Amino acid sequence: MAMARQAPQRSLRNAFELVTALTSRDLKLRYQGSVLGWAWSLARPLALGAVLAFALGRVLGTGITAEFLLAGLFPWFWFQGGVQGAAGSFIGNGGLLKKVRFPRAVLPLSTVLGATLQFALSLPVLVGFVVAAGNEPSAAWLGLPLVFVLQLGLTAGLGLFVASVTVYFRDLEHITEVLLTLLFYATPIIYSVDRVPEGYRWLTYVNPLAPIMEGWRSILLDGALPAWSHLGASAALTAAALAVGWVTFRRLEDGFADAI
Amino acid sequence: MPTPSDGEVVLAARGVSRRYPLAVPGQALKTTLLHPGQALRAWRTRRRRELWAVRDVSFEVRRGEFFSIVGANGSGKSTLLRLLAGLSKPTRGSVEVRGRVSTLLELGSGFHPQVSGRENVIMNGLLMGRTRREMEALLPAIVEFSGLQEFIDQPMRTYSSGMYVRLGFAIAAFMDPEILLVDEVLAVGDAKFQEKCYEHIAGLQRKGVTMVMVSHDLGAVERFSDRAALMERGRMVAIGPPRKIVGLHLERLAETSPEIKQAIDEGIAADEERVRQMLEEDPEWAAAFAAALERNPAFHEKLREQAERERSG
Repeated sequence: MAMARQAPQRSLRNAFELVTALTSRDLKLRYQGSVLGWAWSLARPLALGAVLAFALGRVLGTGITAEFLLAGLFPWFWFQGGVQGAAGSFIGNGGLLKKVRFPRAVLPLSTVLGATLQFALSLPVLVGFVVAAGNEPSAAWLGLPLVFVLQLGLTAGLGLFVASVTVYFRDLEHITEVLLTLLFYATPIIYSVDRVPEGYRWLTYVNPLAPIMEGWRSILLDGALPAWSHLGASAALTAAALAVGWVTFRRLEDGFADAI
Repeated sequence: MPTPSDGEVVLAARGVSRRYPLAVPGQALKTTLLHPGQALRAWRTRRRRELWAVRDVSFEVRRGEFFSIVGANGSGKSTLLRLLAGLSKPTRGSVEVRGRVSTLLELGSGFHPQVSGRENVIMNGLLMGRTRREMEALLPAIVEFSGLQEFIDQPMRTYSSGMYVRLGFAIAAFMDPEILLVDEVLAVGDAKFQEKCYEHIAGLQRKGVTMVMVSHDLGAVERFSDRAALMERGRMVAIGPPRKIVGLHLERLAETSPEIKQAIDEGIAADEERVRQMLEEDPEWAAAFAAALERNPAFHEKLREQAERERSG
């Protein structure tokens, strides 16, 4: 008698509906009962941008502008929120993992999607600042989806990895927090790549986030696509992050329900 | 009418074992730094500390059968159910399942307390692989069965534990399962709802749905199951007619607990204060005791006499 363990049959439609339902529930809960709602997601990049523009631009006299900072800070908070949120997505849903059989990857992915949605909603505000500062929309803006997809892939890959390993090694959630803070300064967000001394320039090539940040700024502020060599390196690293994230998740997911 | 024993095997465990590493008391960073030798020894021995929660369990359940698993706390019955549900993988052996499985494990299977009952029903369905449209079509029947029409749009944090069970069971039961795995939960709901659940299960059984239940409610096990199994320290020590299995379970309990033995031998009057205290402290014991009462008409007689004495005195 041959009898195989049957996996629950799932349609693509179900997977899509599940991810969007989880995402919209998370977003709804986050802003439930708050007066300004999603506008709060603008507060952090705007406030930090204003303070840094004063501290770096005026006090230290670096000539850095508000729109330069904002073009990096908005995407940064998307990345940071996505990865940090994903880190706790499995351990924060222990009850669910223990009791219901469903494709586990939807948990970190819906967190990343939520951060992405917040970024997408705040994009018009960023574009408003950029245009108000005297930057005309140009043909290069058609390259924005490319940078967007690269950053989405990188965030999802890292999020999946961090979420999976955190189940077994809880300290990783806190390590991630520290590393993200370091990464903020190690990535050209509040400075541009050309300010990095020649000897350290290679750092921006091994940091997959660096070309992405440069990409946002170069398209929005200079009306030029970033160098293809840079984008290519970023694409390769993003693909690697996705692959590592997925493989790690697949290898570890069977033990989630028992480890939590 | 075909009896369940004629049906094909839809659920089978073959030599299933599950090992868990035992949690080693967490070493604080401070202790590790101050006593490195001790910390190293603890780390070295940690692999050896393990527990076989389920050991070499084999059984088959046929289509349309109501199969119950009883046993003391920690005997491995809930772990076994999780293995059957595919929520954790056997260390050895295999579980074979034929058909759509719907599970209802513990209280509030994956409900989010901050959102409404309605949204939780939809989310639960999506988690179990249904589409939103299917769930919206099922929603009225689920709400009606749960009897929570007035509360369905309230956030679930306002629900009582009984209401959680109602909604949880209603979802599991209306998912059109072929195999329904239920852990404990039914003991939480009120008697009237329990009755409704067992009635519904009987209806599902007639349609060929297979039911596997883990329960301390020995009365229900005897009343509704076709077959039962007794778990002890991870092993399935007996499989057979529910009445025999429940009897065996009570005997074993009596061996381990002098209070239960005494109560079974002498009836409720043995040490009323002690019995009352145990009933409050230990739900498992209370369930066993209730079942013992139900099985033994002499108890009822004694209870009646005692009640009469109290009324006249």
